[in-house]
Amino acid sequence: MIRIAAVGDVHLDEDVVGRFRPALEELPDCADALLLAGDLTRHGTEAEARCVAREFGGLGVPVVTVLGNHDHQCDQVPQVVKVLQDAGITVLEGDSVVLDCPGGRLGVAGVKGFGGGFAGRCASDFGEPEMKAFVRTTTESADALGAALRGLDCDVRVALTHYSPVPDTLAGEPLEIYPFLGSYQLGQAIDSAPTALALHGHAHAGTEKGTTPGGVRVRNVAHPVIRQAYSIYHLGDHLDQGEVSRTVSSGIQQTWS
Amino acid sequence: MTEHRDVATGPPDEYVEAEVHRLLTEDPDVAEQGITVARRESGLVLQGEVESAHRREEILRRVAERFPDVPVTSDIGVIRTAAPTEIEQLP
Repeated sequence: MIRIAAVGDVHLDEDVVGRFRPALEELPDCADALLLAGDLTRHGTEAEARCVAREFGGLGVPVVTVLGNHDHQCDQVPQVVKVLQDAGITVLEGDSVVLDCPGGRLGVAGVKGFGGGFAGRCASDFGEPEMKAFVRTTTESADALGAALRGLDCDVRVALTHYSPVPDTLAGEPLEIYPFLGSYQLGQAIDSAPTALALHGHAHAGTEKGTTPGGVRVRNVAHPVIRQAYSIYHLGDHLDQGEVSRTVSSGIQQTWS
Repeated sequence: MTEHRDVATGPPDEYVEAEVHRLLTEDPDVAEQGITVARRESGLVLQGEVESAHRREEILRRVAERFPDVPVTSDIGVIRTAAPTEIEQLP
């Protein structure tokens, strides 16, 4: 069994530093890794990235992240990535990492992703250069995610994106903005490998649970959706009913979903 | 719900709604994409959740500054950051 904690869209700046930390201090007792689904900052500045490093660095569990659209706002992505990496946070964009956990090898492949929309209601690679660039950005991102997932050598695969791979977890958002919230191509990439779980953020008014057309479980872990410091998912088939109903030492009540 | 401003100048139109919505994202002092703007007879209602009380106040301050004649009602909360009380098991 592998234990994953996840949250996205924490939008850190000086005014938020310290709010997550008390809950994060419990992580070594209840998770093997923390995955962050992008939008770590408000504007993507190096100073805000330092706030992220203070809040999410040195937690005692590996931290893996993708960036979100907010993290690109000030065109300081290289500086943001360096600050995060210096704090020991793994930043994925079209690549993957394998973590040796007590319950097996956890493989995480990640991209920010992009918009485009979903089957039958999506943008096409056609027309003006701006529209083609928009769709090709998504295609390249999805292709990179698919290749990274398929290339993983691990026991459990998790896909980590900022944008959504499915419309299910956007329920609650206005239908008109779905094409700006995700793309079916990300779902197609996730379904191209035996992925156990897909995590994303970005859709603050969305809902937590969905599945890809191929049956992969999708969870929207945007902070305004989960309304707690992080959510915890146990992956694997090594728990029996008795184990999942007990209270663990950190006080977390385990339940079947 | 907190009544932020109360200026009786008639309901705001769609263009005001659009401008406020864009301000919420594009104003560097706000930079929020998760706040919805609804038009009512009494003015605009801002709804959503942010990461700090300071950000909520800043949203109301910036909207009031830019649209001083638009009555704004706030239904903006601050998201909790407690540790989870449940685990989802995914066999």
